[in-house]
Amino acid sequence: MTAPDQIGSVTPIRRRPYGLLLVATPVLLVLWLIIWPIISAIITTLWVKTPEGNAFSVETYRFFFSDGYSLSNLSMTLWTTGTCAILLLLVCLPIALYLRFSDTKVAAYVQGLAIFPMFVPSIILSFAFIRVLGPNGTVDLLFNAVGLPKIRTPYLTPWGPVIGLVWDNIPLTVLILLSGLGNVSNQAVEAARDVGAGRIALLWHIILPRLSNSILVAISFAVLGIFSAFTLPYILGPAAPEMMGPFMQRTFRDLYDPQTAITQAVVTFGFCIVFGLFYVRSVAKNRAA
Amino acid sequence: MAATLAYRKIDWTGIAFAAVLTLVIVFPLLVVGTWAFTNVWRYPSVIPQEFGLRFWNQTLARADVWSSISMSLTLAFTVTALSAAICLPAAYAFARLDFPGRNILFFSFLAGHAFPKFGLLVAIAGIFLQLNLIGTFWGVVLIQLVGTLLFMIWIPVAAFQSVDRRMEEAARDVGASPFRVFWSITLPQAGPTIAAAILLSFVGTFYETEGAWLIGAPQVRTLPVLMISFINNQPVIQYGAVLSVLLWVPSFIALLFARRVVNSGSFARGFGG
Repeated sequence: MTAPDQIGSVTPIRRRPYGLLLVATPVLLVLWLIIWPIISAIITTLWVKTPEGNAFSVETYRFFFSDGYSLSNLSMTLWTTGTCAILLLLVCLPIALYLRFSDTKVAAYVQGLAIFPMFVPSIILSFAFIRVLGPNGTVDLLFNAVGLPKIRTPYLTPWGPVIGLVWDNIPLTVLILLSGLGNVSNQAVEAARDVGAGRIALLWHIILPRLSNSILVAISFAVLGIFSAFTLPYILGPAAPEMMGPFMQRTFRDLYDPQTAITQAVVTFGFCIVFGLFYVRSVAKNRAA
Repeated sequence: MAATLAYRKIDWTGIAFAAVLTLVIVFPLLVVGTWAFTNVWRYPSVIPQEFGLRFWNQTLARADVWSSISMSLTLAFTVTALSAAICLPAAYAFARLDFPGRNILFFSFLAGHAFPKFGLLVAIAGIFLQLNLIGTFWGVVLIQLVGTLLFMIWIPVAAFQSVDRRMEEAARDVGASPFRVFWSITLPQAGPTIAAAILLSFVGTFYETEGAWLIGAPQVRTLPVLMISFINNQPVIQYGAVLSVLLWVPSFIALLFARRVVNSGSFARGFGG
């Protein structure tokens, strides 16, 4: 990342250090409110107060990883994130494949619908979820009308956040996969068809190898968003065990225990760091190209 | 070519996707819309017993609704204005000037995206705690401002870079001042994209819930924060439904203006796709 052409061409007459002045405020904001909080979070959780003054200690982390409640919240978060990632792929890959290979009016409608959740704030989604799938919700009404028993509502169970988060993440997952499918040329598909490849063979040998990077990007983006999701798990999920987002919020605001809350935050950083670095690297690579 | 043929195979796959997505994505929102215009809807009637606007009057008569609407709008305007004031000059500098550290500084705005968002918010809240910014208006402004930086710099940089440099140089050659060139040549070409970035950052800030809840509540109550308390504590369903319809207005405006941007390939590539 040394050549100036990395972020697009400039034809400078000469190097103008006063450009630094123009970018100083936002850069300082990033340093103060992103870089410094992360460093500070790691320092304050490792350099803790002891009877003999401040000293290095992993006590807060030892507590987190030995506390049953913290661990069950962590495992619930891992389960939710994993389930959502798998469901998102199962839902979005077929939609993206369909959109890539058809140009009908129906396809335009399907694309519009798949992107629509981007324009529905998650708070409205939560409310709609409760009205439709909650107790005495619309599904119950319709089932009752045709003589079926009430459903076991997913509201306030671990499946509540899963359904909400998948719904919320459909648009960007479809868009990222669709953008990746742009790398699959029509010639490659037609050539494979000409030599008699079936649909499965086509998907497995031609499409998926070219799509693997986009799948990883889509998964990384979803994992980063879901692992510390707050609004949907807070409203739709069970009170205990809870996901890391509501857990951190409660520890910070309701229990007034910032030290423990920040420890929990650093734990989420640790679990997501691989996805985060991979995701940021992909975005930077695309932007530089 | 297929479109010119009189006979065309029916797109059954598409119809199946369209039906399922309509049921899953449109239907729940229609239910909320119906609740907002319902006076009486008791279980187990499939359709409401009485339609009407009674709860619109009641919701709009509530002081907490108006105070949170004005709080949300004030916050969104303040954050967007500050963001534009600091990011647009920076974007111009990244696009047009060469200075030491240009690349690393440009990519530094990605730093926040390598971490799970709420964890980062908790780490920032730890800093704000020492500065007594918890529960204050400016604390929420700062945390939402950080959330707008990436879009408000990267999108305008692309806009400035796509301006035709030859037109600017031609204007300079015939004696236009640098300011005149910027005002008459650069801005009109980059303007629409920059306006889209400003709109997106306004709408994004309007709906920002997590920072407002973690840093601002209960003193700073925005519309989404009020909505959370309606969902948790309000037995009258219609209040939440009316508020949902009100809350959706900025998104609807964004939908009208930004759909073309979102559908373009460059938008997905901006997310690494």
